[in-house]
Amino acid sequence: MPARAVATTGAILELRDITVEFAGFVAIAGLTLDVHEGELRCLIGPNGAGKTTALDVICGKVKPASGKVVLGGREITRLEEHQIARHGVGRKFQVPSVFRDLTVRQNMEVALCRAPGVLGNLFRFGNSGASEQLEKLAELVGLEEAMDVAAGALSHGQTQWLEIALLLAQDARLILMDEPTAGMTAHETAKTAELFNRLKGRHTLIVVEHDMGFIKEISDIISVMHQGRLLAEGTVREIETNAEVRAAYLGSGGISGA
Amino acid sequence: MEGQHKHPIWAKLVGYAAFCVVILILPLFITDDYLLNKLARYLVFGLVAMALSISWGYAGILNLGQAVSFGLGSYCMAMALKLRTIPIQTGAEGLPDFMVWNNVKSLPWFWEPFHSYGFAIAAGVLVPTILALLIGTFVFRARVTGVYVSIITLALLVVINLVVIDRQRLTGGFNGLTDLAPLELFGLTFDPYAHATYYLIAVSLGAALFLGLAVVHSKTGLIMQAIRDDENRVRYFGYDVAAYQTFALCLSAAVAGFAGMLYTLVMAFASPTFLAVPVSLSIVIWSAVGGRASLLGSAMGAIIVTGVQGSLSDTPAFLETWTLIMGALFIIVVLFLPRGLISLVDRIPLGGSARRRAAAATGAASRSGINAG
Repeated sequence: MPARAVATTGAILELRDITVEFAGFVAIAGLTLDVHEGELRCLIGPNGAGKTTALDVICGKVKPASGKVVLGGREITRLEEHQIARHGVGRKFQVPSVFRDLTVRQNMEVALCRAPGVLGNLFRFGNSGASEQLEKLAELVGLEEAMDVAAGALSHGQTQWLEIALLLAQDARLILMDEPTAGMTAHETAKTAELFNRLKGRHTLIVVEHDMGFIKEISDIISVMHQGRLLAEGTVREIETNAEVRAAYLGSGGISGA
Repeated sequence: MEGQHKHPIWAKLVGYAAFCVVILILPLFITDDYLLNKLARYLVFGLVAMALSISWGYAGILNLGQAVSFGLGSYCMAMALKLRTIPIQTGAEGLPDFMVWNNVKSLPWFWEPFHSYGFAIAAGVLVPTILALLIGTFVFRARVTGVYVSIITLALLVVINLVVIDRQRLTGGFNGLTDLAPLELFGLTFDPYAHATYYLIAVSLGAALFLGLAVVHSKTGLIMQAIRDDENRVRYFGYDVAAYQTFALCLSAAVAGFAGMLYTLVMAFASPTFLAVPVSLSIVIWSAVGGRASLLGSAMGAIIVTGVQGSLSDTPAFLETWTLIMGALFIIVVLFLPRGLISLVDRIPLGGSARRRAAAATGAASRSGINAG
């Protein structure tokens, strides 16, 4: 598939013909994907389909062997992770990673990356007027009482919430989430769905998820990946009735059981 | 972590100020110049341990080459003082004695600028800093982490140590630089047993502690700690992790270089043993015993360990066994107080913070927030 002209689709994120290889193993084989501003896109697919690798390519953790990543009309394919982050890409990993020795408040201050320079930050103390914003965020995720608790002392669920708060503090244009509801209770999952629906529109989100119930709650359009390629794209109803998708999930109990 | 109180900044400031007051008024109670000289040495060790705390305790970089910075600082000062020493054999404008013995005909080019105190003092800080900048740039841009950073810095230390010993004609070799004139600056003479030397060191340590405290409480300090916890996560927030790590390494090197210069003043010589593996390892032990994630803890760790070491090795009863006792103490502290002796202080509940917590709890309850988890 030849690379199409860049920036004709009006999408905030364009993946063009991305190929990723790990020592001979082709993790992604010619993936092309468009995501529009303010959209919440779910990325699903059987294990090994290349979903997480796709997120890794967007945020710069993995450099593709070929292909292009374009964010808001600018190519970011070869930039370093922190440069891509400065262009407005936020990432939540599958394994919750917060700064365990820092308090919840300090965690959020780190995420609030207004000026990334070493020397400038030497003369910045406290949270320079952002205190109210951080309190509001903490309230949004129910951590307002834990602001001065070390993040390492939080429960698993609270840690997930803190990570989401960090992404909000970072205020990225494009937020990449890898299985945000993993390990959450049904109640917490419902609350996360509510939060995501609020984020939609102001932020653009790409969510890798397995929980079809959750996906139905939040998603407009689903992209299905299979063997490193885009297999199908459409609404929940379209995807559930798609013959190719059924075939890809064959043997794993169908899409809802994956 | 559990059971510990994070003390508010004012409590820290009070603690740091109290320490400074103590080291500044100590000479009033000490009549023995030999003892004062020993104390001054311990304070220099405190300064170099505090420097390690910046890179190790705050940024998670275990620099096993800290003695490189310390030693280079020490040599910079010693070179300036050596040039002020009038050689016995050759008279006022003659070459330093060891060069004469080694048949050196004229002063090597890199010795020339050390005729100036200003240059020497600047070099004592800048040479280690620039070296740290080079190492940091290469190591951290290549994303070398953890134990590999320690191995590289240790190897660098061994190499520099060998070069200094091997280039006897230029460096004094194994003997180091001895027979040094005392530093004379601002009408004061800083000889090893002078009160002026002690005060210079005490004021330097105090100033470094407060400056260090300002750095670690700045946003840069916060990012350094975040990098220590999870450097990859920091990257995805948009920070250039390598730049922060390099900064921490450079700041630490600058302070250690300054400490090295002070050490030359208090010892009246510079030696390749200052720039050697045992010194580097000692600094790590001091910082670990005192508390690596605390500047004051690391400084006090150095003072306590070297103080106990000094008095044990001076006591005839422990002449044979003092290294054993020190080793046992180190193991006990690391096993039972992994955050060092300073964690004992952290366990002291403060009336103020307890009140604050109570107020926060009731405040939160009245706001009736949603409870996650």
